[in-house]
Amino acid sequence: MSGSIDWVAGLQWFFMLYFIGINSGYLMLNLLSLGSLRRYIEEHSLDDLPRGISGFEPPVSVIVPAYNEEATIAGSVRSMLQLNYPDYEVIVVNDGSKDGTMAALRREFSLLPFPEAYWQRLPAQPVRGIYRSTTHPSLRVIDKENGGKADALNAGINASRYPLFCGVDADSVLERDSLKRVVEPFLEDPRTIASGGTVRIANGCSVDNGFLASVGLPRNPLALLQIVEYLRAFLFGRMGWSPLNAVLIISGAFGLFRKDVVVAAGGYRRDTVGEDMELVVRLHRLHRMKRIPYRIVFVPDPICWTEAPESLRVLKNQRVRWQRGLSESLTMNLGLLFHPRGGAAGWLAFPFMAIFEWLGPLIEVAGYLFMICAFVLGMVSGEAFFTFLLVAFGFGLVLSVSSLLLEEMSFHIYPKPGQVAVLLLMVVVENFGYRQLNSLWRLWGLLLWMARSKARWGEMTRSASWQTGGGGGTK
Amino acid sequence: MSWLPHDPLLALVFQAGLGIIACSLLMLAAVFLLRLRLVLRLRRERRHAALWRPLLAECVYAVPETLPKVPHDLRYHFMKLWNHHHESLEGGARDNLEKLARALGLDVMARGMLQTSDLRLRLIAIITLGHLGDRQRWPELRALVSDSSPMLSLAAARALLDIDARATLPWLVMVMAAREDWPLARLVAMLKEAGPDQVTAPLVAALQAAGSPAQTVRLLRMLEVAHSGPAGAAAARVVRESEDPEVIAAGLRLLGDPRDLELARVCAVHASWVVRVAAARLLGRIGEPGDRRLLACMLGDAHWWVRYHAARALTVLPFTSLEELEKVRLTLNDRFASDMLAQAIAEARAR
Repeated sequence: MSGSIDWVAGLQWFFMLYFIGINSGYLMLNLLSLGSLRRYIEEHSLDDLPRGISGFEPPVSVIVPAYNEEATIAGSVRSMLQLNYPDYEVIVVNDGSKDGTMAALRREFSLLPFPEAYWQRLPAQPVRGIYRSTTHPSLRVIDKENGGKADALNAGINASRYPLFCGVDADSVLERDSLKRVVEPFLEDPRTIASGGTVRIANGCSVDNGFLASVGLPRNPLALLQIVEYLRAFLFGRMGWSPLNAVLIISGAFGLFRKDVVVAAGGYRRDTVGEDMELVVRLHRLHRMKRIPYRIVFVPDPICWTEAPESLRVLKNQRVRWQRGLSESLTMNLGLLFHPRGGAAGWLAFPFMAIFEWLGPLIEVAGYLFMICAFVLGMVSGEAFFTFLLVAFGFGLVLSVSSLLLEEMSFHIYPKPGQVAVLLLMVVVENFGYRQLNSLWRLWGLLLWMARSKARWGEMTRSASWQTGGGGGTK
Repeated sequence: MSWLPHDPLLALVFQAGLGIIACSLLMLAAVFLLRLRLVLRLRRERRHAALWRPLLAECVYAVPETLPKVPHDLRYHFMKLWNHHHESLEGGARDNLEKLARALGLDVMARGMLQTSDLRLRLIAIITLGHLGDRQRWPELRALVSDSSPMLSLAAARALLDIDARATLPWLVMVMAAREDWPLARLVAMLKEAGPDQVTAPLVAALQAAGSPAQTVRLLRMLEVAHSGPAGAAAARVVRESEDPEVIAAGLRLLGDPRDLELARVCAVHASWVVRVAAARLLGRIGEPGDRRLLACMLGDAHWWVRYHAARALTVLPFTSLEELEKVRLTLNDRFASDMLAQAIAEARAR
């Protein structure tokens, strides 16, 4: 009997310490973010003076993979053609859409076939045709066989003309100076090979002519909860790793890369659903192994707004896909883990991701289940059970509140005090069910990855209610 | 305490949990306080801007006779407003803005801010002193050029250029070439503002004294804003003497004199594709009808960019019409060369 009690006590302490460990790790990241965020804001305090843009910034190819985006593609491309940046081209890659995406592009931008000498540097499905806009000389459209998002991005890189390329989701809403912001790290340090910025939730905001007109909160509670989640993920989940040169994720919704480096690395892998993260982890691995100095930078400015799922089914699909992407990205680059030349990426960020993000759902769900079952069966005391809950919820709360505090100290995107009050409420509410549900979905994603079942790009259904301009939410 | 778990370790964890929740509540309060402070600050700044904007705009014609005082806690906000106007206006309006600033003691304010440890205040102070042309701060600003912070040092360099470009440039271009943490795009923009009359001689002199290929490349890129004659002559010298492909390619970008044609032809068969690209582009600028053959050969190059720039050069070469090029294209046996020329012709028609 005493043997089983020792076993239960051991597990109880394991789960308790795991929750303390994961959250302490995030708190450390939070502290790191606090310092670097403050420094970033101070250093860029004069960016809005008229001398800001020099006109000598490197030209950028904006690559927009599109699959069945008939409803939104014209508006999105129109906004991308109006970015505040001296020299850039927009390449839309129609990835074998089954709807009228190509027809919409032809109609809106007066496309004509263009005899381009297509350079197949990276593997991609065959190109059916290349078109050039007669009304917007900087716009080209690649029409190709369906091959997935990574394949479309590779085709876009093949057709791009400029030394930097920026992958943008077709449904993203950009800030006018988003390109200028993400190019900054490349100007400041020639070793920079990739940079990404903060992605925010567009639900509830109003969009005018493809650009964000006003920031609002959605009425949908799921979207509201995701706002807090995104704040946490971006403001310290990524900002904290940036000064250590250990950012492992640059969102596929908006990320800037040096083209020669990505081509040399083999481009986007087409056999993963997490092609954005996989590429970044691979770039770390290759540069570290070859001892090539490099920097992968996170820019905290909110530069890109995206639509969050508003139904449990779509949200579940998204989280399952993300967890699979994470699993693939890490296992495809295991060589980076604890490699003598791995640096902060291999010795800190990778193990952190592996223990807390990749295997985290398994331990979290097991922890909750074990504590509940053991408490019900009388194997764990009430004191221990409530202490566990106190620690789990307390740390969850402190992390969410601290992300909101970081936001309030830096960008204060949500202008009205009422909006901050709603977000503070969400910070408390998310700990009672939402986080646990997320862990369950992520566990499902992990199990599906282990079973090696196939996943495909393009399962996300979008309402794009914000594109109408109404916002559909509280302001 | 009776409500604490009896197990001392568990009690410790329980207390930590309580501490964390207390921390959360404190942070919640901090969020509210920060928002309250923000609302009050923005309200003050809006009122302050509403008061000052018309007065600063009046400087287009004359300095307003009566000026309100700038409160100490709004000096950063005011300086930003003032600098915004200064960078947006030109000529006499700028002089009036500077008179207004001196009447308000902005120069004294900026000198004080230079001594603080707040980077934000120091940056705005440096920019302001530069716009005010404050020569008395020259030694301090010059010392700041050596600061390890690229933001601070670059701001100081810009301020010195604003104060006296002629005296600054001869030594500053050497620093510009050496400091790799200074973004080249910013330097080129600064030099462009100073103007080709000021920058050409110091850059040409610095190019002759450059210590490494990396420095030479940086200086050649900066020379793109200088007078094309002296810049081209200096670049041609570098191209002849250097063996570094990056240096040669950067030098070729600056050439434009027909006397450099022979150099372009030699570089068109260089082992490095980077040099061949630059040579093809140069042939497009200064080539003669006779160079059509060389460029047509380059259409068969193994590198896509060489083929692309050779094709583009053919479309801009004098005395060659697009119809003639179309006929040439039909005679090409190399499919890659033919496709590339087709693309260049289509691009030329679209231009």
